[in-house]
Amino acid sequence: MTDMMADTLSEYDTPICDTLAETVKKSLRTSDTIGIERCLQCGACTASCPAAKFTDYNPRKIIKRVMENDISVIEDESIWNCFYCYTCHLRCPRNNSPTQVVQVLRQMAINKGIGLDKLEVLFEYGDAFAELGVSKIPDLYVGQMEDDFDMRWHEFKNNLDSVRSELGLGTVGVKDTGRGEIRAILAGIGFFDRQEKLKQMAEAELNTSDEKGGITNETN
Amino acid sequence: MSLSNGQIGVFICHCGGNISDVIDIQSVKQEIELDNISVFDCEYLCSNIGQDLIRKSIDKHSLDKIVIGACTPAKHEKLFRKCIEDVGLNASMLEIANLREQCSWVHPDNLAATNKSISLLIGKIKRVQLALPLTPIQVSINPNAMVIGGGIAGINSALNLANNGIHTYLIEKDVTIGGNTAKIGKIFSPEKLAEECAMCSLSPLMNEIGTHPNITLLTHSEVENVSGSAGDFKVNIRKKPRYVKDNCMACGRCSEVCPVYVENDFNCGVKDKKAISMRFAQSVPQVYSIDSDHCIELTGGECGICRNVCKVDAIDFEQRDENIELDVGAIIVATGFDEYDASKKPQYGYGVFENVVTQMDLARILGVNGPTLGKLARPSDNSVPKNIVMIQCVGSRDEDTSGNRYCSRYCCMAALKHASLIAKKYPDTNVTICYIDIRAFGLYENYYRAVQDMGISFVRGRPAEVVQKANHSLVVKVEDTLTQELKEMPADMVVLSSAMEASSGTKQIANILNVTLNEDGFVKEKHSKLKPVDTSRDGIFVCGTAQSPKDVTDTIAQSGLAAARTSVFISDNEIRLDPQIAQIDHSLCNNCDECFKCPFGGISKDVSGKVSINPLVCNGCGYCAKLCSKSAISIAGYKEEQIIAEIDGVIEKGDVLVFLSRGIPYATADNIGNSVAQYPANVKIVQVPTTTIATKAMIEHAFKHGSRAVLMVEEPTDNPIGAFIYPLAFENFKDLKNELGETGAKLHFKKAYIPHYRGLAEIFTSLAQMEDGK
Amino acid sequence: MKQIENIPDRGILLFKSCLVSVEYPGIESSTTYAFDKLDVDYLVSDEQSCCTGLGYYFDLFDQMSTTAVAARNFAVAKKNGYTNITTMCSTCYAINKETCALLNSNEEVRSNVNTVFENAELDDLTYKQNSLDEVDNFYHVVEILLSKTQHIGKLNTIDFSDVHVATHHACHYYKVQYDDMIGNPNHPLLIDTIAKSCGADVVEWYEDKTLTCGAGFSQRHINRKMSLEVTHAKLESLKNAGVELVIHMCPNCQIQYDRYQPVIEKEFGTKYDLVHMNIAQFVALALGADPVKVCGFQTHSVPLDEFLDRIGISV
Repeated sequence: MTDMMADTLSEYDTPICDTLAETVKKSLRTSDTIGIERCLQCGACTASCPAAKFTDYNPRKIIKRVMENDISVIEDESIWNCFYCYTCHLRCPRNNSPTQVVQVLRQMAINKGIGLDKLEVLFEYGDAFAELGVSKIPDLYVGQMEDDFDMRWHEFKNNLDSVRSELGLGTVGVKDTGRGEIRAILAGIGFFDRQEKLKQMAEAELNTSDEKGGITNETN
Repeated sequence: MSLSNGQIGVFICHCGGNISDVIDIQSVKQEIELDNISVFDCEYLCSNIGQDLIRKSIDKHSLDKIVIGACTPAKHEKLFRKCIEDVGLNASMLEIANLREQCSWVHPDNLAATNKSISLLIGKIKRVQLALPLTPIQVSINPNAMVIGGGIAGINSALNLANNGIHTYLIEKDVTIGGNTAKIGKIFSPEKLAEECAMCSLSPLMNEIGTHPNITLLTHSEVENVSGSAGDFKVNIRKKPRYVKDNCMACGRCSEVCPVYVENDFNCGVKDKKAISMRFAQSVPQVYSIDSDHCIELTGGECGICRNVCKVDAIDFEQRDENIELDVGAIIVATGFDEYDASKKPQYGYGVFENVVTQMDLARILGVNGPTLGKLARPSDNSVPKNIVMIQCVGSRDEDTSGNRYCSRYCCMAALKHASLIAKKYPDTNVTICYIDIRAFGLYENYYRAVQDMGISFVRGRPAEVVQKANHSLVVKVEDTLTQELKEMPADMVVLSSAMEASSGTKQIANILNVTLNEDGFVKEKHSKLKPVDTSRDGIFVCGTAQSPKDVTDTIAQSGLAAARTSVFISDNEIRLDPQIAQIDHSLCNNCDECFKCPFGGISKDVSGKVSINPLVCNGCGYCAKLCSKSAISIAGYKEEQIIAEIDGVIEKGDVLVFLSRGIPYATADNIGNSVAQYPANVKIVQVPTTTIATKAMIEHAFKHGSRAVLMVEEPTDNPIGAFIYPLAFENFKDLKNELGETGAKLHFKKAYIPHYRGLAEIFTSLAQMEDGK
Repeated sequence: MKQIENIPDRGILLFKSCLVSVEYPGIESSTTYAFDKLDVDYLVSDEQSCCTGLGYYFDLFDQMSTTAVAARNFAVAKKNGYTNITTMCSTCYAINKETCALLNSNEEVRSNVNTVFENAELDDLTYKQNSLDEVDNFYHVVEILLSKTQHIGKLNTIDFSDVHVATHHACHYYKVQYDDMIGNPNHPLLIDTIAKSCGADVVEWYEDKTLTCGAGFSQRHINRKMSLEVTHAKLESLKNAGVELVIHMCPNCQIQYDRYQPVIEKEFGTKYDLVHMNIAQFVALALGADPVKVCGFQTHSVPLDEFLDRIGISV
């Protein structure tokens, strides 16, 4: 954790409230009618959850911890397992939505500098979006795909422009004037400020762990 | 305020804190007290002490007009009117400000609620000064009663009435009485651990209905129309042909020779029934009937074999619909429930996987007169299932639009009953019940304990899905929330405990009778504790599952009460009707006859040729008043100057004025309060018979006082009054909008539905917060 | 619930998708091909940006940034008079729809976004309350095609009668705003209905029909093992259902099925006789489109040549 640790980097995603449940309810990432306090602990979410099937992630327990105001839930590594597939959201008989709750919890974790390792690789995404107006899969992920996929894919990727033009499609990206607009909008809404803070936090985190590493060496 | 004529008494009820916890009663009193206005407050105004206070104060302070600030007039208006009448005031000298449902329960901000309550009371004070005495309308009560629905609720209430000497018509749409109770085989009992034979209890009662001298049973019959008013209802019944005359001896020869098999909806749709048949052996009346959709003769073919074998010549292919007219004083609605359609939850596979059934299907399977003659067998191959998994709360306790929010109240016990029956007869079959909470309330806990002792398994969790594997075997995916294990439970048969829903017949009858339904589609009782079987309309009562989900035991208890309430009502001999109906000023009438278009047939010419309004038919909707170009017709108690006086008192700068029709829209607004929803306190409601009576002068008065917007909320079109009134009210709204010119943009129009009270609260909120009221 | 009769075929802004553009461009060319054949009035605008959905569900984008970008795209739709925003990707669908609802219902959000526009001298982007309706102005291509099933059935040139088809409906189409899809969200049948209209033999219900494809946004990358386990489970269910062709409606699902099927075959030591395509590619094919020049099947990882050959289409 660092000095730059902010209480919230977005008052709309993670408003500062007295309880976790309040923050979750007030966040714009959750529905207005979310039934968090009405949870029956019936387990329909967990029984329907693909992540619960293969890992120790349990959406029912996540909700219980939020109801009990157990802030340590944001440090629980399992919240990063949710697929955002919204099956729990669909199946909940109480209009609750563990998947939306987890989105808020992850944002709260990020505010505290948790999970920045996962976010770090994505920073280029924001910059690319501002530039071209299109989403870009981060290089690290692309690298993973390059390793996974066979020649068919590599060939297609290498010839993307010509394949697109054969299909009668133009170049990818927003036309020039639009790009300036998107950058201005993202700047105005505070996207870059937030991303800058996250970058600094991630960097500081890196330094701290280096320092720690140094200390460990000494004691050894 | 310039308040001169007469002494006015204002009584404010604390409602045991319901009002006084939010509204500062003392500052309200200070604010409205004047020389000619005396203000009183009381913990419970509806109590004897409260009514005594009203009566004594009228006497002591020579009050001649009364304003009450309390709960919604829908609750205690009659009580308070009678109270002031007791001490010699005309019942019309009373106005009630709704300080609970439309103030303290919807505005948590104490100051805002207090200020609003002051304005509501001042509005009523101004209005009551223009009150005119009205003569009550007396009607003598017809001594006959009608019960709609021949299930256990209808049967029991009809027998109670008949035994009390009241001639009762029992109307049943099916060809036999018996209803769902006839299907369920065994009934669970709170005090015994044994299950009783449903038919053994039901059949004697059914027979008694068939032979009781005070009961006229009309089966295969439906109520088509009801007119008139409490104490004097006129009912039109359509009796459908059964193509078998009443002299049928029920020998069964016809059915034996009939070549057509049809789906038997009494037995889960199994094709084991003939086109001429009796529903079940104990049917009442013991008369066969022909399924006209499948009979060869009736579908244009040539057959007639049944006619040839009938020894008493009872088959009559010429039978047609019969229209029957009845006059009754009171009506009991006992139209029962429908089982929730479990195929709305496709994740459980009902209707797709053969071996997924509902508890009602299982009841039939276990019934000795069922499709398997009582043998436990799964539908796909008639084998005895080794593993049965039951899933509770299918369509109950479910906020999804395809489910119901309420608990269906009987399904936990039904599941326990079936588990117990199976455990006793098939010890090798394992039953597991997946539940969220087992609701074995009261003495039923004994039964639950006994079933636990039998070794039935319980898994606490709501299953996600049912999956079908090879050989029609099933797997139920569930989290056992107590052990936090994800389980995939194998099952040979899955039983869904499907919710109990208001029947389609209940909705249909409620519409015909114009009684209010609650947001779940059940008939709403007038007061959940004090008047649990009275409906929103006098002289119409409700019982059984038409009112809310319940088991047989509770149904019988409640149907007895409905009969008792009906007996009391009928034995009054005379009833007084609401005098707030249309009245005509003959000096203005030019005999244009426009008002004869009254959709309820309430206006005609009397012997002298003058336009006359039938007080027994008129519901005061204002339809005629709107059509009258000479303004000769008005609704008693709702004259233009009276409404303007109320607006004058109520509206302050920035307020939203809402005209609410007094039927469904007013009840919907009350529901916002009942449901602890909210809207801003600058929304002020004025009740009207319907919005057709709203005039330009009223609306201009509101805008003159700084109103930011005016909203008119009308009856929905699927209600008997709304069906006629809504188009006229909408026309009135458009005319007013035009007449108002630019300010017309601040006039709004909506219709209300009881279940959509949140929608109404949202409309209130958005108008209250809108910048320019547009 | 949306009603088929109310699905428009005029004023459609065909909303470009990032993953369609760079992974399966054939979905876009197939959609426009089908729309042309089915007389759908649509526009593709190069002023429209991505929806930020990937960034949002990667937990990188905050709600306000996503909302502001969406509002700009809504202005593009309105400026061009093509206000029925219709997406090829289910996440574009969910993001646009939810953002519109937020802009309509939350005055603070609306005014924040509009202030940003104003300060950037982009006043023409201003979003006025209810200028788009979150229900009536947002569609997925599959809905437009569903409203044209009769027409598609009539124009179909291919005999699909012995093709065993199963469908995968995209989670973000029918689970996010589940009250507002066509049919029952616990058993979506939109693609099934379209495939049936072309005579295909459709397995309507199979185990795990509503299970996610396994992509899970960041899960594919940060929890690769779990992601592949889910996809493996899904492919096993499809295999058990005896399916040959899986039709889906979202490029992200398509990556997961088509690109990762060979990966799963390798890592789980199994083999699948399953081919994949998007519903727009299926419809275009039925309407006579060239499998390479229109459907772009050459961009797929699981080759379709054998399958196409079997149903009488030469590549």
